[in-house]
Order: sequence, then structure tokens, then C-alpha cells
Amino acid sequence: MSAQGRDFAAVVATVEPEARRLIGLYPAGCERSALLPILHAFQNVEGWVSPEAMARAGEWVGVPVSVVESTASFYTLFHRRPVGRYMLQPCRNLSCIINGAGEVMAHFRERLAIGHNQTTADGLFSYEEAECLAACDRAPCMQVNLHFYYDLTKEKVDAMLQAMREGTFEVPPLPQTAAPAADWHVSPDDGKKAPGAQGVPNPNDPGGLGDASGVRMIERLERDPRPVRERPTHERLIADGFERISNPGTNGSHN
Amino acid sequence: MPVVKVLTEGIGEVDLRDIGVYRKRGGYEQWQRAVTELTPAAVLDITTKSGLRGRGGAGFPTGRKWSFLPNNGRPRYMVCNCDEAEPGTFKDHMLLEETPHQVLEGILIGTYAIGSKHAFIYIRGEFRRGYEIFCEALAQARAAGFVGSGLFGKDLEIEVTVHRGAGAYICGEETALLNSLEGRRGEPRLKPPFPAVKGLYGEPTVVNNVETLATLPHLLRNGPEWFAKVGPEKSPGYKIVSVSGHVKAPGNYEVPLGTPLRELLAIAGGPREGRKIVAVQPGGGSSACLFEEHLDLPYDFDTMAQNGTMLGSGAVVFFDDSTNFVEAALALVRFYAHESCGQCTPCREGGHWLEVTLERLLHGGGLDSDIELLVAVSHQLTGINLCPLGDSIEPFLASVVKRFEAQFRACVRTPQASAAG
Repeated sequence: MSAQGRDFAAVVATVEPEARRLIGLYPAGCERSALLPILHAFQNVEGWVSPEAMARAGEWVGVPVSVVESTASFYTLFHRRPVGRYMLQPCRNLSCIINGAGEVMAHFRERLAIGHNQTTADGLFSYEEAECLAACDRAPCMQVNLHFYYDLTKEKVDAMLQAMREGTFEVPPLPQTAAPAADWHVSPDDGKKAPGAQGVPNPNDPGGLGDASGVRMIERLERDPRPVRERPTHERLIADGFERISNPGTNGSHN
Repeated sequence: MPVVKVLTEGIGEVDLRDIGVYRKRGGYEQWQRAVTELTPAAVLDITTKSGLRGRGGAGFPTGRKWSFLPNNGRPRYMVCNCDEAEPGTFKDHMLLEETPHQVLEGILIGTYAIGSKHAFIYIRGEFRRGYEIFCEALAQARAAGFVGSGLFGKDLEIEVTVHRGAGAYICGEETALLNSLEGRRGEPRLKPPFPAVKGLYGEPTVVNNVETLATLPHLLRNGPEWFAKVGPEKSPGYKIVSVSGHVKAPGNYEVPLGTPLRELLAIAGGPREGRKIVAVQPGGGSSACLFEEHLDLPYDFDTMAQNGTMLGSGAVVFFDDSTNFVEAALALVRFYAHESCGQCTPCREGGHWLEVTLERLLHGGGLDSDIELLVAVSHQLTGINLCPLGDSIEPFLASVVKRFEAQFRACVRTPQASAAG
């Protein structure tokens, strides 16, 4: 990844003195405490926490990169993939929701044509619906690159987005050392999940965890007076609009 | 109107971020007095006598918490918890940004009282501005000789480290906070051992909320009786209440504990035009709802507990008759599902499934049995987790399902709708 024209050595040269200072803030032998602050320092320079940054931070505080990655993955503010220039985070928690945050969020989604945890194709905006930001007195609120904005309305959102597009917005854009993908989610595994896992349909288990037809199946169960076990499987599947499974062994969706 | 100005004094009037302004109003005098005139034991005694209870959520008596530290000659640590993220709470955010020196003076006094040389403040990652403001305040105080070594000509050293989190509600739980401060995943630890015995870096540690510590200079200035005689005997003192929701003037209001909820409502401007308040959540996202018949209850730790809810962090959210409680319940359940650290299965799975069930209800695909399911599942995941996060789902959900069952029932898919859809 370092071959993308980004000068990681320069990044390290900027971050290292700061990292040394941060490590010095903690008692001797407790270098690891500086891990989160050092990752913040990298993200401030690069806009995200790259694998190289995690490896380097690990060297400085004396833990393997696997541990750094595990730690970084716990915290929502660290982006382990590049994100857009403006990180838009409207609050979706209680006080904001009962004061119209739903409309504001729907407006963002419509205007940006992206959803939760996604980045626009031009790499300008990333969008994440955040949890309580501790500004409930001026709901609905949001953060743009961690700067607060309050009392949001559709008009305010439009004005904000326009200023960002024109480059006149008061909050400086985030640095961007690599082009962002459609989202910044890092899959915890190799992406090959078994049928029936969350978000992966399983033809043998209509209505299961990964199956969008769940509601349909429930309705059918309600309408059909026969007990479930008296209905043949293929009949259930056809009733739900599935093709009959010819070879269940290979029918899992591994995409 | 019983609004008082103790911790909130001067906020919005003068620039309390400036150490000169803060000192002109008596700032750091009590810190100096503590070091030059009082022993740590005397500060502990004042705190205990005042009856001050922790302002972060649990309401544990502060003096007693400090007294649990063992006398084993090991280094001790004071940690100020500024990971404020309880839904509806925004008081620490204000204290940190508006009066950072008061917070710092409180931290210093608390650190001195427990005989520690090193204090940490853990600031929520989202409060980037607050972090910068506090770092600046710390630099000013250091330059003025209030932090560091050789304080006030004595052989006394106190260091303060500002630490910024990175987005995790669970780090407000004290053992998760300590893990995060050590550079680890913010997962709560098994208790016991409690932090007082084995905390940060395995040493005795006290974790106190921002507001708790910021109260200390006032306790020293005015004496413990001044605080103890305010409000109910067992939960005395002043409290900053974060009022939000369906009120005309939401905000932070400092009041004596024991102020009736109805008065809090009036202080916050009352309900919106033509609306009436039907419910109030008195202690943050983790507390059960109270209803219109409870509005005359005094707002204090014990009364709230006796009525099946809690004062928590002092976040009061009012709901008027326009509220969709299915949506409100989803907002909170989704929050807990999102913020579960994942260590304990009941919390991790239970929260997720409750979220799915509520989504289904809200989007018109609910089943009749879903309402019982919500109550049963939220109850079953309570009391069997490492930390209180999983237990926080049930109170609000169960209380609004019980009270506003009709709203939830209305989301159940009718046979007619099924046949048509």
C-alpha cells in the first residue's frame, strides 16, 4: 500500500517526535498507554490509520502489529481504510431522534446517495450515523471532522454540503493520502461466510439470519394452519419464491 | 426557581479558560490551601462529611471510595473519567470546555487527598476541542506552578496526563477505561479486584467523574456542612442536570438535589406549545422511564431508586405526547447493541436481537409475540454480564413497552395488511 505514491517516511518523520513526547507522558514501562494517542497522531496526518502506521506504532510502544490492529479495531474513531475529506456524523441517539434526527439523516442519505458507513465515489464525503455526542440540548446535532454542529435542519444540511463542495466550509478537510473505497469497513475475516451467517442468505433456512424474506416467511407461517413439520421443505421454499434447490451442497452464497 | 450557580458560576459570562480570569474568582486558592494547610486525611474527611456521591452514574459516596485504597506503599493513581457518553448527558462536556481550570483544580485536590503523584484525565475521543482546551489549561497551570514538582515550596509532586479516547461508550465503565488508558481494547475487567485494589497498571486507583472532582474546590471553600445541608440527607448537594428532549429550553441546569421533576421541567422552559409531557427518563439511557404521575417526585438518588429507576448521570429527557416510543426504544437499544464490547454473549447477542425485533416492529413487520419477546429477552440478558452495559437495555425498554403497549401493538402486522402485502 505504501507504493501508492504516498511518502510514508515523511509521515513517520512528522509523527515520531510527537509519539516520543506522548510516550513520555506515561510512567516508565507503560509505553503501551501511548498507543491510542499515537494512532490519533497518525490519523491527524494521514486521515486514516494505515497498516504501516499500525506497525510503526507497535514498534514504538513495544507490541506486535496484530495487537495494535486488534486494539485499533475496537474504537470507532480509528479508520483502518481511507475515508472521505469530510466525515459527516449526525447523532442518531435518543434526544436527537425525538427531535427530528430521522429526517436529517434521511436527508443526508438522499443528498449524498450513500448510506451509513459509506463514502461518496468522489472521495469527498464519508457518512456515519453516530451515537450520543453529548450535545443533546441542541438536538439534532452532528460532528463534521469532529467539530460540532447543532440544531440541524434540512436547509442547514444543504448549505453545509454546498460549502464543502465549493471548498468554502469553515472546517478544514481531512488529509487524504489514499483514495477511499466505497466504505471503510475492514472485514474481520476473509469475507467467506457460511450460508446463514449474518447477511448471507441460506436457501435451506428461509427466514434465517441472512434472509431478507424473513417477514414473508413469518406471514406464511401465520396464514398456514398446518404445523411446520407437516409441510415438505421444497413446498415451503417454493411458497417463499425460491427455486427448488437441486444441489444444496454448492448453493451457499460465498460472495 | 432553585437554579444555583456553583460549578456553573461564570459560565457564559466570562472566559474561564483563561487562568487569570479563573484566579481572580478565587481559582486555585483551595488547591494552595489544601497543600499548605490541610493534610490529605483532612481533605478526605471534608469530602466524607459532605456526603458527596459520585456524579458519573453509580452515586457511590466519594469519600468512601477513596478510603478503600490499601496502605501498601505502592504507587497510586487518580483517574478523572471524562468519557461522557451516556445518552442525554452533556454536563462534563460543558465543564471541560467552559471551565477546564475548575476541573483541573478538582483533579489536583483529589489526587492530593488520596496520596497519589500522578493523575490522568480520560477524555472522550469525540471531544477533540475539549481535549485541546484542557491541554491549554494544563499548560497554563503548569506555568503558574500548580502542577509538577515542588508545589508551593513543598516536597510535593503531582503530574497530570491528558489522555484522549477514540470512540467507545463502554470506556466510561471504570475498568474498561483503565484498559483503554493502558492502550488495550476497552473491555471491562472482571471485578473483584476493584480498581481501588488493582487498577491502572495493577496499582491502587480511584476513578472519579469530572463533576465529582470539580465539586472539591467548593467543598474546601465552603466547608462540608454547606454541601451536606442542601437537599435530602442521604443524597445532599448540588447537581448539574442535563435536561433535553421535548422542552422549550433544553440545557444544563444546576439545582439542589431533591428538586421535583416538575420544577426541572419548568426550569427547562416547560413543554412545547400544545403538548403535554407523558414520560421522563430521569438518569440517562440506562434508566427506566417515569411518567406524568411521577412528576412531583423529588429528584435525588434515593427517591429515584425507590421508584424503580435511577438518577444516574443526571440526564433528564422529557417526552411529550408526540413521541413514537417504538422509535425511541429502537434508538436506545441500537445504541447498546452497537456499544457492546462483545465479551459477554447475553449482551452481545441479546442487544442485537432486540434491535432486529424493534426494527421489524418499526417497519411494519412485527408479530404479536414480539412485544412479549422484547420484555422477555431484555430481562433475560440482565444481571449475567461482566459490566452493567447489558443490564442497561431492560429498564427503558420494559418501562415504555408496559406503559405504551398500544403504540407497540399498533406496529404489529395485521392479517389484513398481511393478505394485501
